[in-house]
Amino acid sequence: MLGRRAHRKGEELRVRASQQAAVADLARRALEGMELDRLLEAVAAAAARELRVEHTAVLELTGDRKGMLARAGVGLPNGVLGSVLPVQPADGSWPSPLQDDLDAASTKAVPIHVRGGHFGWLEAFSREPREFTPDDGEFLRGLAGVMGAAVERTHHDDVVIDSEAQFRELADTTPALMWMTDAEGDVTFVNDGWLRFTAGKPDLQIGGSFGDSAHPEDRDELLRCWNEASRRREEFRFEYRLRHAASGGYRWVLELGTPRYSGGEFVGYVGTATDIHERREMEEALRESEASFRELADTAPAMMWTTGTDGLVTFVNEGWLRFTGTTFQEEMGASWALGVHPDDVELVLSSWDDALAERRPWEGEYRLHHHSGDYRWVDDRGVPRYVSGHFVGYVGTAIDIHERKTMESRLFEVYQREHRIAETLQRSLLPERLPPIEGLELAARYLPGARGATIGGDWYDVLERPDGRVALVVGDVVGHGLRAAASMGQLRNAFRAYGMVEASPAEVVARINRLVMSGVEQVMATVLYLVLDRETGEVSFSAAGHPPPLVLAPGGPYFLEGGRSVPVGAADPAVFRESTAILPPGSSLVLYTDGLVERRDTPLDERLEQLAAAARAAADDISGLCEDILSSVLGDAEPGDDVALLAVRPLPATDAHMSLTLPAEPGSLAQLRRRLSRFLHATGASEVQQYEIALTICEAAGNAIEHAYGPGDATYEVEVRFDGGELTASVRDTGSWREKRGEHRGRGLRIIEDLMDEVAVEHDEGGTLIRMRRRIREDRAA
Amino acid sequence: MSSPAELVLDRRGGHVVARLSGEVDMSNASYVREQLLASMPNDALVLVLDISGCRYLDSAAIEVLFDASRRLARRRQELRLVMPPNSPLRRVIELTEVHTAAPVYESLDAALTE
Repeated sequence: MLGRRAHRKGEELRVRASQQAAVADLARRALEGMELDRLLEAVAAAAARELRVEHTAVLELTGDRKGMLARAGVGLPNGVLGSVLPVQPADGSWPSPLQDDLDAASTKAVPIHVRGGHFGWLEAFSREPREFTPDDGEFLRGLAGVMGAAVERTHHDDVVIDSEAQFRELADTTPALMWMTDAEGDVTFVNDGWLRFTAGKPDLQIGGSFGDSAHPEDRDELLRCWNEASRRREEFRFEYRLRHAASGGYRWVLELGTPRYSGGEFVGYVGTATDIHERREMEEALRESEASFRELADTAPAMMWTTGTDGLVTFVNEGWLRFTGTTFQEEMGASWALGVHPDDVELVLSSWDDALAERRPWEGEYRLHHHSGDYRWVDDRGVPRYVSGHFVGYVGTAIDIHERKTMESRLFEVYQREHRIAETLQRSLLPERLPPIEGLELAARYLPGARGATIGGDWYDVLERPDGRVALVVGDVVGHGLRAAASMGQLRNAFRAYGMVEASPAEVVARINRLVMSGVEQVMATVLYLVLDRETGEVSFSAAGHPPPLVLAPGGPYFLEGGRSVPVGAADPAVFRESTAILPPGSSLVLYTDGLVERRDTPLDERLEQLAAAARAAADDISGLCEDILSSVLGDAEPGDDVALLAVRPLPATDAHMSLTLPAEPGSLAQLRRRLSRFLHATGASEVQQYEIALTICEAAGNAIEHAYGPGDATYEVEVRFDGGELTASVRDTGSWREKRGEHRGRGLRIIEDLMDEVAVEHDEGGTLIRMRRRIREDRAA
Repeated sequence: MSSPAELVLDRRGGHVVARLSGEVDMSNASYVREQLLASMPNDALVLVLDISGCRYLDSAAIEVLFDASRRLARRRQELRLVMPPNSPLRRVIELTEVHTAAPVYESLDAALTE
């Protein structure tokens, strides 16, 4: 690498790659459960190392927001670590109280955010004056993001441990029968209640199927129902007779199972069995004799009730009154509803009214006021009664399901929290906004999957290659949850690194495959990697196990087939192919992950057709295109799997006029050339003409840069017109003209004069104006 | 944005072959010059600078060619240029009379076998 600028550029890239690698490495360590204090130390050390500063500090706002606890740091004075520093000013914003202590000339600080608040600050201090670059800021924010996620994860781990311990404790003290299975459906845990009930031995129960203790007549149906539910990972609900040790017979139980997830992966079921023997007996008895019903009802431990034809309560049993602590009279008529939790009462009554109107069986889960003063969850259900074919009202039973509901909501909370952390991590690893790229409209969307903790490892990225082409990537790491999100971060960085140095998409993908296959962790990902030439519309791409990119051309949408190969991380050695195509002018390109087009109930072809149709009907602007595709393909429902979508459109450089103002510094010349290149390409100028015209305009601009003495922010203006086959250009600066300074500047002026058909230089107090003219096409005389 | 350029060096007996690619302008010209001069050990006789891969050279870059040639000549070393006949840079190289400072060859082989 060379050229001071080029060298500096190379250096920037190297520094950036090193910084990104440091962030990815720390994210990985955080996810592997590195202890928080050690992680904060590692972050402080990485910040000092990568930024080459003498001091760094991780400061945590204290609970009262009045102080900052120095939790970690590099090069801090004795006694600072572990002490609480004042917050200056009171709102916790910059500057740091450490600045004076450290005698730092330059400082940079970024906030560390956690969900719902501000955790503290990450700060870097340099003794020598220096300017922190945007990359440095990005790097520190990346580190802050890792720390924020780690802090959240620490809380989350507490909850998981807490909830696991609570689960076992609750499970063993609850009168209910509880169990867990693994993903294959084998029982991995039964509680004391279960063992007491069945007098089973843990060794015999665990590893077996819970059907073993079922009544032989119920066993087949139970297993059929269980297999069906667990195949679909749905809630499982079944009533059957379970062996009862104390009586030597069987008792009716209601078995309920809920799928469990950990880290987004299905890991089995957690379930309860509730003794409903009295309820069943009651129902049986009721069928046999109305007369014996009430007598039986009052000796039963279950909660029972009857109504008249109008739905008003005519009877509740002792079991009901023991639960509510009310009197028989208080429960008559419609007043039982007063005991229902205010949040549940509306739903309960409306479903009850609906059932009553059609004389259907009714069932409701709601919170009922308990005599202890709390509300407890009950499962209540009633069936219509008939006497000699005439409807006479309902009879119902309720059972206490509070433990199960509590368990469910706690598990739900845990899933929710994990889901949120994975999503936070995912978002912190995706570019917050896409970098503006000259001559390209860009929009991207990422939608997290809705189902439980099913955050996946989808990503998108865009980078401008040194050869002026643009690399686009969308990918999908196989798997879900935190680990997939972390692998995604590493793959994204790997693509950025190889994408900068390798021109061929197949070679980039092959290198990533080699990298992944040589790693310790097993990672597999589908990837669409594409390189676009904005000027010519030429694309070359490689689709590693990934659905094809969509081109939305003015003539209609189509998919770019070809360049197919296996996913990254699937095989080694593997052959990766690439294909090339030309985008028709005015086309947009849509890259997506399979969350957009994959659905179990519809063949892929149909979904792709649907995507193409959605693109055809979508809005014209690039952002609207993304929105319309998402809303018409996914509908109102949140996607089951996560979805990444990236849309780009090369802007037509057809304007017959360009004008821009640039800072008077040599670095602006590359930018000017890029703009000119697009403009000249569109005029139909030959390659030689393009070079010569760009050169003359840049020579004039070089003059302007040398003249533009001023307080730092001097600029120059370039204006170019193309009309009737003829190109006119002007470059204006605000400096004072100096004749031929040195041989090289003289050479520059000679180049301008010789390569242009006509050149005029005007000076005034305001500065210098160079006008140039050159004919490009002889066939279209003005 | 800054201008990207790349220099790849290769020693062949008494010749040092330097392949320059990318874009050289006033933002990186002096760095290119330093690297070129530093690439020539005292025992090398000829520096063959191949600009076939260059997309853009401006007057500052051309000045580097003149300057490098002068400095090498003082060390009794020679600068040769390689530029294919169809290069878009050809007219500018001719116009600025670069051949008066360094002979221009149409291929690397030609520059090496001379």
